[in-house]
Amino acid sequence: MTVDFIFDLLNQFLPGFSGNGFLLLFAMLIPCLILFGFIAVYALVVIYAELKVSSFIQDKVGPMGQGFGFHAGKWGLLQPVADALKLLTKEDIIPGSANRVLFIMAPFMIFIGAFVSFVAIPFGESIIVADLNIGIFYILGVGSLAVIALILAGWSSNNKWSLYGAMRSAAQIVSYEIPAGISLITVIIITGSLNMQEIIAYQQGGIFNWILFDNPFIPVAFVIYFISALAETNRTPFDLPESESELVAGFVTEYSGMRYAFFFLSEYANMFVVSAVAATGFLGGWQSPISGYLDSPGWSVFWMMSKIAFLIFIMIWIRWTVPRLRVDQLMNVCWKVFLPIGLINIFGVAIWTVLLGS
Amino acid sequence: MKRYIIDIWAAATTILGGMGITLVHLFRAKNDNVTLQYPEERWPRPDRNIGFDHSNYNVIRSRLHVDMDDCIGCLKCERACPVDCIKIETEKVPNRGEDIKEIGHVGVTSNGSRKAMVVTRFDIDMTECCYCNLCTYPCPEECIFMTGGPNSDKHPIDYEFSEPNRNDLIYRFAKPGSREGMAKIISEQKAEV
Repeated sequence: MTVDFIFDLLNQFLPGFSGNGFLLLFAMLIPCLILFGFIAVYALVVIYAELKVSSFIQDKVGPMGQGFGFHAGKWGLLQPVADALKLLTKEDIIPGSANRVLFIMAPFMIFIGAFVSFVAIPFGESIIVADLNIGIFYILGVGSLAVIALILAGWSSNNKWSLYGAMRSAAQIVSYEIPAGISLITVIIITGSLNMQEIIAYQQGGIFNWILFDNPFIPVAFVIYFISALAETNRTPFDLPESESELVAGFVTEYSGMRYAFFFLSEYANMFVVSAVAATGFLGGWQSPISGYLDSPGWSVFWMMSKIAFLIFIMIWIRWTVPRLRVDQLMNVCWKVFLPIGLINIFGVAIWTVLLGS
Repeated sequence: MKRYIIDIWAAATTILGGMGITLVHLFRAKNDNVTLQYPEERWPRPDRNIGFDHSNYNVIRSRLHVDMDDCIGCLKCERACPVDCIKIETEKVPNRGEDIKEIGHVGVTSNGSRKAMVVTRFDIDMTECCYCNLCTYPCPEECIFMTGGPNSDKHPIDYEFSEPNRNDLIYRFAKPGSREGMAKIISEQKAEV
């Protein structure tokens, strides 16, 4: 699914246009459209899962309906579709005292931050849009674009709650990038590569070759990465930027309709990206857990998606279990717990790799 | 330092414990949930035996019902009603105690009374009804009654009678077409005279 492959294909089928710059643009556009469609469908599925899991955890039944009329479908299957339609048809309100340009820009910026990361996520041996040689670094770097968008949203809304939310999210995301990066460094130490495909190739040969089971320090790194990822995506134990009981909706307070939907979509897209990085770095990526069993390209997509789905389920599960942290607790956990443990972890993994590594 | 490690250990164990509880609830949701899918499922009707001898106590008053075949049009219930929610109009019958087939009028009540009146309108506005039950006592033929309670053999309990339109809560018990039918019969009588 690389751009080159599609470009060659287009050149083959449209010989009259071969060498045309527009063809290259098309070749870039096609994977983007596929990814966008994928994100939209995936968001609907995860919103449904979130509704249902949260309800089941609270001994409720969640969205329910009978048939396929205006009753949200059998078992409420059409509930996320109805939500999306509602958001699409809602009035688009821009506050009079808001900074119009920045206000309109923010939802697109945050979505770009989430969307661009999808480019480097591998779903199979050749199923990757751009096989960058610094893939994991690229995803970490692009992921922090979200901070700019959040601050834009908070600042341009001209609203106390939005600004508080934006400031909190900036502090939070900037802080938690460090433990996330530090725990991913352990993976890079072991594999010796920043390339997503090479990291996955290192974990070939069944579940016990996954980096998670490589040495006793890695599970700690995995936990630190996962919790930091929760914080970076503003999921519940760390949802201070949009804590609805304190700040109404944080940085999205003034947004409505489609612009709000973009914030929503990018949150779920970010969940997917961090889960994909965790799956790639620690859980063998698209490799089958049993060596040589069901590892054709089609199944590789299945394995990658099921690992990501499992991690997203854990995120939802944590969200409906753990209450929100205070701001000082949030910073405590980052700087006083994760950072020292992460640094000790790097040291341990480095020594382990030097002494016992291949 | 000791405090630091204890805190981390406590945080990890308590979070895992909480997640264990939520996981148990996640898989037991089907048994534990108390949500009733209302239009599809309903609570069972309440047990009528509430400790009294219920044939003496009309304790369950769900809504008024009129057995039109027994109604003689005496207007006693209309007068008894404290909120005037019952509206009755009557016409004199040509021959007392005889059935009038065209409008479905029954001449003799189940008690044996021969009817002198045809009830052309018997409207009860259930939005105004205060469920006081005062209209049922004066009725000489016992044809107006609250459903449920001792009357459950006459008419089933029905407590879900909300309507999308307010006018649908005005219950029209008179036989349909009886007003026009009686007007026609009376005009025919006048023509004969």
